[in-house]
Amino acid sequence: MRIYRYAVLTRASHWVWFVAFFVLVGSGLQIFNASPNLDASDKSNPARRVLAIGSPAEGVGTTTLFGHAFVTTGWLGWTGDGMGSHGAHAFGATITIPGYQDLASGRRWHLFFAWIAAVCWLAWLVSSAVKGNLREMILRPSDLPKLWPMQAYYLKLRKTPPPHGIYNPLQKAAYTAVLFVIAPFVVLTGLALSPGIDAIANPLTIVLGGRQFARLWHFAGMLLLIGFFAVHVFQVLTQGVVNQMRSMITGWYETP
Amino acid sequence: MKRRLFLASAVSALTGCGPIGSALNQNAGVRRTLESVEGLNHLLIGTRGLAREYGEGDVDRNFRVNGFATPSDARYNALLAENFSTYRLVVDGAVARPQAFNLARLERMARQTQITRHDCVEGWSAIGKWSGVPLGIVLDAVGPRADARYVVFRCMDNDGAGNLYYESLDMHQARHPQTLLALRLNDAPLDADHGAPVRLRVPTQLGYKSAKWIARIEVVGSFATIYGGRGGYWEDEGYEWYAGI
Repeated sequence: MRIYRYAVLTRASHWVWFVAFFVLVGSGLQIFNASPNLDASDKSNPARRVLAIGSPAEGVGTTTLFGHAFVTTGWLGWTGDGMGSHGAHAFGATITIPGYQDLASGRRWHLFFAWIAAVCWLAWLVSSAVKGNLREMILRPSDLPKLWPMQAYYLKLRKTPPPHGIYNPLQKAAYTAVLFVIAPFVVLTGLALSPGIDAIANPLTIVLGGRQFARLWHFAGMLLLIGFFAVHVFQVLTQGVVNQMRSMITGWYETP
Repeated sequence: MKRRLFLASAVSALTGCGPIGSALNQNAGVRRTLESVEGLNHLLIGTRGLAREYGEGDVDRNFRVNGFATPSDARYNALLAENFSTYRLVVDGAVARPQAFNLARLERMARQTQITRHDCVEGWSAIGKWSGVPLGIVLDAVGPRADARYVVFRCMDNDGAGNLYYESLDMHQARHPQTLLALRLNDAPLDADHGAPVRLRVPTQLGYKSAKWIARIEVVGSFATIYGGRGGYWEDEGYEWYAGI
């Protein structure tokens, strides 16, 4: 049976976020490259360095995590510049925006698409709340006992999924976490990096542990979003890719 | 064939953000669109609130040098060699009483010490103890006229290609209580790397707004005709004029 699963604004938001996500990650890595260290502190402090990506010598790239150094030549620290040669850039030209080193442009892309993603989120939230679609999506306490049965179904330890509405309990958990916890967290940690915001909302930066710590949180938030994206794409590919893609484009979903 | 094209474009979409972004980045219309949010950020964040002030224990004794180190400029090095004894800070433009301040006079006007964090656009931060003259006091001394909207800082340095280093602030940011003409860093007169003899401190914006080696402060109605017309050396290179974010 075909059901109309996604409202037009949900589908539009989904694809706007898809584009914005790539641009924000790419431009964010460009910005990161300008100072490829993350410190768990307010001001820069090598004694509290969590991550450092560098090039200690020509042709060598290293990634140092909590003081443990790994050689990552070609992947991190010493990477391709997109023009056939390699250089001392933390992240390579194939994934940064723009590809070549250009902090000013990276910031322009990042701040513009941050607005796009945030405005889209607000429009989606208001419209979904008005239409009552959020009820179907937000994880509730009553969903908690169904989380493991659903996971068991995915692992083929169970023949049928537990009874659920439009979204299964694991989907609800993932979407609730991304849209209402991780995304706002990434926005807040990004804002806390800015001296102008810090002057207005001092406690925000302090609660996060200071400016450099906010930078670390912002990066960690990005990693969580990338993790979600990877699982999300895996699910789409394994749970009926044509049906899934069609439903996110036309709205119509074929129920199994 | 179609399938192969699809696969090829999917692969390049996943690994090709950089090259695609590079191409779009050169497009004038794209750039104008990207730059459109700067005004919005300025409007919403603006110059509100105060930068956090720290204690003596937080100060970085070896404060990291931002931007360029000691200028190669001949005039600057001549002044440096004679310890700035003939240095004059010229303050003119759209003001009632244009003046030239020597260092002794600026020292007498100094009345603020702030321990604030310098946030570099590159991402790093350092904390310094800065002392000097609040810019508002210097502006009061020269009396900006009614048509004054911006304060432009011309520095004794160039990038080697003939472009002078300069910066600008609007009147609101110029009169912010923490906007400081710094003469001292960490209880010692500024050294050449850190902007001697006079530099700006704007702790509520990113570090590149805090111009070093200031020779002249010009009050203007518009900076559109000065150098690249975007209000600063780094701004002419593509960085935001409003650097609160």
